Amino acid sequence: MKKGIGLALAMIVTATVAATAQANPTAASSASAGTSCKKTLKIGFVTPLTGGAGFLGQEQMSWAQYAVKTLAHSYGLHVVIVPGDTPVEQGAAPAQALAQKFVGDPSVVAILGPSTSGAVAASTQTYFAAGMAHLSPSATRTDLTKTVSGVKEGTPAFFRDVPGDYIQGPSDANFMIHNLHVKKVVIMDFQEPYSLGLADSVQATLNKAGVSTIRLSAPNTTTDYSAYVTKVPSDADVVFFPTQKPADAQTFGEQLIEQGKKAKMFGGDGSNDPTQFKLPGSYVSNFAPDITGIAADASIVSGWKKANPGKSVGSFGPPSYGAAQILMNAIQLACKADHGVLKSRRDVLRKVKQVVIKNWILGGTFRWSTKSNDPLNAKFYIFQIQQDGSYKLVG
Amino acid sequence: MTDSTPHSSDIPAEGPAVGQDEWVARHAERRVLRWDRLAPLEQRLRVAPWWAWLALFLGAMCLLPAITSSGYARLVGFDTVLYMMLALGLNVVVGWGGLLDLGYVAFYGLGAYGYALLDSNQFHLHYAAYFTIPVVVVGGAIAGFLLGLPSRRLHGDYLAIVTLFFLQLFQTIVTNGDSIFGHNVTGGAFGIFNVDPLHAFGHTLATQHGGVFAVSYYFVALAFFAVVFVALRFVNHSRTGRAWRSLREDPLAAEAMGMPVNTLKLMSFSFGAAVAALTGTLFASLSQSVLPLSFYFVLLITIYTMVILGGAGRQHAVVLGALVIGPLLELLRDPNKSRIIFYVALAVGLLLAFGVSRTFGVIAAATTALGFVCHTIAASVHHSWVAGSSPGGLQHFVSSWLVIPKHLAGWIPPVTYIGVICVALVLTLVPRRVRLVLLPPSLYLAAFVWDNVMLPQSDAARYIVLGLILIALMIVRPNGLLGERRVEII
Amino acid sequence: MATFTQLTIDALTLGSVYALIALGYTLVYGVLKLLNFAHGDVFMVGTFIGYGVLQLLGGPSNPSVPIWLLITLITLAAMAGCAVLGVVIERFAYRPLRDAPRIAPLISALGVSFFLANSMQLLFSATPRNYNTFALGNGELYFKGFDIGQVRVPLLRIITIGAAILLMIVLWVLVNKTRTGKAMRATSYDREAAAMMGIDIDRVIMFTFLLGSGLAGAAGVMFALRVPTTVAIGFVAGLKGFTAAVIGGIGSIPGAMAGGIILGCAESYTQGYVSTKWSDLVVFSILVAFMIFRPQGLLGRADIRKV
Repeated sequence: MKKGIGLALAMIVTATVAATAQANPTAASSASAGTSCKKTLKIGFVTPLTGGAGFLGQEQMSWAQYAVKTLAHSYGLHVVIVPGDTPVEQGAAPAQALAQKFVGDPSVVAILGPSTSGAVAASTQTYFAAGMAHLSPSATRTDLTKTVSGVKEGTPAFFRDVPGDYIQGPSDANFMIHNLHVKKVVIMDFQEPYSLGLADSVQATLNKAGVSTIRLSAPNTTTDYSAYVTKVPSDADVVFFPTQKPADAQTFGEQLIEQGKKAKMFGGDGSNDPTQFKLPGSYVSNFAPDITGIAADASIVSGWKKANPGKSVGSFGPPSYGAAQILMNAIQLACKADHGVLKSRRDVLRKVKQVVIKNWILGGTFRWSTKSNDPLNAKFYIFQIQQDGSYKLVG
Repeated sequence: MTDSTPHSSDIPAEGPAVGQDEWVARHAERRVLRWDRLAPLEQRLRVAPWWAWLALFLGAMCLLPAITSSGYARLVGFDTVLYMMLALGLNVVVGWGGLLDLGYVAFYGLGAYGYALLDSNQFHLHYAAYFTIPVVVVGGAIAGFLLGLPSRRLHGDYLAIVTLFFLQLFQTIVTNGDSIFGHNVTGGAFGIFNVDPLHAFGHTLATQHGGVFAVSYYFVALAFFAVVFVALRFVNHSRTGRAWRSLREDPLAAEAMGMPVNTLKLMSFSFGAAVAALTGTLFASLSQSVLPLSFYFVLLITIYTMVILGGAGRQHAVVLGALVIGPLLELLRDPNKSRIIFYVALAVGLLLAFGVSRTFGVIAAATTALGFVCHTIAASVHHSWVAGSSPGGLQHFVSSWLVIPKHLAGWIPPVTYIGVICVALVLTLVPRRVRLVLLPPSLYLAAFVWDNVMLPQSDAARYIVLGLILIALMIVRPNGLLGERRVEII
Repeated sequence: MATFTQLTIDALTLGSVYALIALGYTLVYGVLKLLNFAHGDVFMVGTFIGYGVLQLLGGPSNPSVPIWLLITLITLAAMAGCAVLGVVIERFAYRPLRDAPRIAPLISALGVSFFLANSMQLLFSATPRNYNTFALGNGELYFKGFDIGQVRVPLLRIITIGAAILLMIVLWVLVNKTRTGKAMRATSYDREAAAMMGIDIDRVIMFTFLLGSGLAGAAGVMFALRVPTTVAIGFVAGLKGFTAAVIGGIGSIPGAMAGGIILGCAESYTQGYVSTKWSDLVVFSILVAFMIFRPQGLLGRADIRKV
C-alpha cells in the first residue's frame, strides 16, 4: 500500500513535468530565426467560446475555420487556427494569459481577434510589444482605433475589419431622425462595454438633433424586463436595444405589444439573428448587408452551410471569414517579401495595411482607411423585419 | 485491504459507547482508511523547522524561471502565487476564524480598484508603490472590519449569505460607478485602464519585455507571499491565534470563558481582507487594468476549493491546495494537456484505490483490452466511426484505443454524458464484486465521454472537474489532504 | 395610476416565480438546515426540460395538443424531471454528509451547483432557448385577459400567478393535512426525536427534496413561458429565491410565499419608481438590512440556540 502512494506521487510528478515541458517550446526560435513559409503557420483566435457570449465565438470560429480550409491553399500557405477561449464572465485574465501563450509560441504569426473590446484593451499592449498583428472581427469600441477625450486604448498593431461604434451610433441615430421622424426615444444599456458605448453614442447624436431621450440601464444578468417595459412611455417612438442576446430583444418587443405600447424595437448588430429576433416592424442595424443577398458570396455561403449543417448564417460569422482572409493575405505578402522564409511576425504586421481584397465578403472591395486601422468608408446597414420574419434592407 | 495498523487513538471495540458522540466514534473508524497514510509521512517531515521548509519551498519556486523561459508558464506561476496568497487570506477567515465568508473576492477587488484609483489616470494620481500598497492594505483591513461589524450577530449560513450579498453589492457599485453623484469613480463597466505598474524611487517595474511577461513580477509576488506567510504564522502562534482556535472550536464556550468573541471575529475578517487587498494590488499592477467582471463568484469557489482541498486551518496545507488547483485549472484549458491529465488521474485514482496489487493490474489490463476490442469492432462497422481526429498528447495511443467518431451525432453527447454519471452513481451502490466487474466498461465510457464530449469544451469541463472535486472532497475527506482532524460538537 | 397597476402586476408575476423557488429552499432548510445552493440550477434544468417537451409536442407554432393541455403537460414534465433530479442529488451529494459539520453539505451544494450549470452548458451550449409563447395560438396568451382600468392583465400572467397559488395550496394541504406532511414537520423540529418515534428519516427527506425540486421545475416553466432561458440563469435565480425565503422567514411556507411577493414588489417598484440602474443595489441593501436586523424574517420563528 505504501508503494501505491509512492508510485502515485511519482506518476503525478512525472506527468506534471512532462506536461509543462510540452508547454514550453524552447526559446531558441526567437525573432531572429526564420520560419519557412512552407511549414504550417498558426493564427491564434481569441474569442469567447464558452460562457454567456459563447454562441458568438462559436459562430466566428466556424467561419474562420471555413476561410482557412478554403482559402489557405490559394495563398500557398498551410495555416491552422489555434483557438483561445476568453469567456466574458472572467474579466481580463484569460485574454492576458492567452496573449502570453501566443506571444511565446514562435509559430503563431498573427492573431484573429480578440473578439470582445475588453479583451482587446487588456492584451493589445502585449501584442504590440511583441509585434503581433491582431485583427478583430467584432470589437467595435471607438477608442480602440481612435482617440476619444485624449485616450486611445488601441495600439498600432490592432486592426478591425468592421466599423466601430462611432459609425454605428450616428448612423442608427440618423436613420431614426430622418427616416423614422422620432420625437422620443428610449435607450437601453446593459452595463457592459458594448451596449454602453453604443448607447452613449446614439444618445449623444439624438440629443444634438433635439430628440428627447430617456435612458434605462439594466444589469447584465437581467432576464425579466417587465418593469423596464412599463417604464417606456406610451408616446415613445423607438426603443433602442443594443443587446447581444437577440432573444431578449424579441421578448422585450413582445412585452411592448402586450402592454399596448406603440414603440418599435431597434437593435444593434448584436441582435442580428433572424432565428431569434423576428418581431415584424422592428429594426436592426448591421455592418454588412445580408451576405446571402450578395451574388458573389453564393458559393461561400453554400459551402459553409454544407460544412455546418443545421446552422444559420448570422452576422458575426462573415467578418471573421474576412478577417482570416486579410491575415492570410498579409502573411502571403510578408512571405513574398521575405523570399519564402518569414523572418519575424513583425513582417506580417507591416503588411496588413497593404492588403486590398476585391469581392470582399461583406460587399465591394476592402481597403484600409488611411487615418486609422479601420476599414475605409465602412457603413452600417439598417434592416426592417418583415411580416414573415425576414430582414429587408431599408437604410 | 492490506496492513491496517490501527492508530494510537483506537477504535472502540464495540462501536459507539454511552457518553460518546456518534460522529466522533465513526470518525475514528474512518481513520483506518488508506488515505491516512499521509499522517505518518507528515510526522516524518516535521524533523526540520518550519522556516527551513519555507526557504526550501521558496527556493524551488524561484527555480521556475530557470526551468522555462516561456512567458506563459511564468504568468501561470505568478497567478499561482497570487492564488496561494488569496488562499492564505481565506484560511484566516475560514480556517482560523471558522467564519464562512462568501464575499472574500470583494476584498480582492477592493484592493485592485484601490490601487487603480491611486495609480492611474482616473484621478491623475501616481503615487509610488511604497505609499500605495500600505494604504490599500490598511484600506482593505478597514473594509474587512466594516463588513465584520454587521456580521457579528450572524452565524453559519446567514453569515454566508450576507457576505455573498456584499460581493454582489460590490460588483453592482463598481459596475455602475461611472456616475456616482455625477463623478466617474470606478470607470463603470469599462473598468480602469492604463494603471501604472509598480514604481518606486523613480524606477518602474516593467510588466513585460517585448510582450513577454516580466519575470521580476514573479519574484515580487514571491516576496510578498513570503512576508504574508511569515506574518500570519506569527499571528497564529500568538495569543490571538489561540483565541481564534477556541472561537472556531466552540464559540459559546469561548464566550463563556471570557474571550472577546466579537473582536476576534472582526480581527479575522480584517486580516483576511488585508491579505486579499494586497494580492489585489499585485494583480492590478500587472494587468495594468481593472474590470468589474474580474472579481467573479467562480473565482471565490476556486479559492475555496484550494483551501478545502489542502485543509482549512493549516497554512502549508492551504498553499499545497493552491499549488495543485491553480496550475491544474490552467492546464485543463488546453485540450492537449487535458487528455494527459485525465489518464494520469485515472491511473492515480486506480492506484490509490487498489494499491499496487493484482486487482489493479487486472482492471488496467481489462480496460485496455476492452478498449482495443471496441475500437476494432467500431472500425469494422464503419471506418468513419473511428476516423475522428484527436489532437494533442497520447495521440497515437488514444486513436487506436478509443472510439473517436468523425461526426458525433447530436444525441450522443447528452446520452453518453448522462450515462457516465448514472454509471458512476450506481457504482457507489453495488457490492464490491459487481463494482470490480463494472469498472473496466465504466472507465472506457468515461474516457470516451472525456475525449469526445468534454475536451471540445474545455472551459465547461474545467468547472465540472472543480465541482466534482468539491463534492467528492466533502464526502470522502472533508478535512482536505493535510488538514487537521476536526470534530464539530453539534 | 396605470403605471402602478402595471408594476403591481409585474411584481406579482415575478413574485410568484420567486415564491415557488423560495418554497423549495424553505422546505429543504426546514428539514435539513441546509442551504441548497443547487436549487437555482435545478430550476434552470426545469426550464430546459420544459423546452424539450415543448419541442416534442410540436413546438410553439404547431402544437399537436390544445394550448392549455400543452402548458399543463410541460409543467408536469418539468416538475417530474426536476423532482427526480432533486432526489438523486440528495441521495448522492447530501445524504453521506448528513452528520458532518454544517459547512460540508454547504460546500457540496456549491459543488453540485457548479456541476449542474456547467454540465448543461457542455451539453446544450450557451444559446438562449425561447419558448416563443407569443406565437402560441397567435398570441392568445398575450392578448386575451381581463382589464383593470386601463391596464390589461394578459392570460399568461394570470396563469403564472394562478399556478403559484394553486401549488402553494396543494403544498400547504400536503404538509399540514397528511401523515407524510406531519412526518416532515416532525423531522424539521427535531430529527433525532422523529427518528426515535419511528419515522423513516431517509424517506421523509427524500420526499422533501422531491416536493421542493418539483416546485422549482414548475417555477422554471412559469418563468420560461415569458422569458428566454439560458444555462446561466441558475445562480441569480437561486440567489433571489433564497432571499425571498429569508425575508419571509426560512422554514415557514406562507413565509416563502410572502417573501416572494415582497421581493417581486421591491424589485418592480424600485425599477419603476427609483432608478433602473441602482435597483439591484437597493434590493440588496434591503435584504442585507433584513438579515441583520430581523434574521428570522417576517413569519419565521426566532432561532433559539440551546447551550
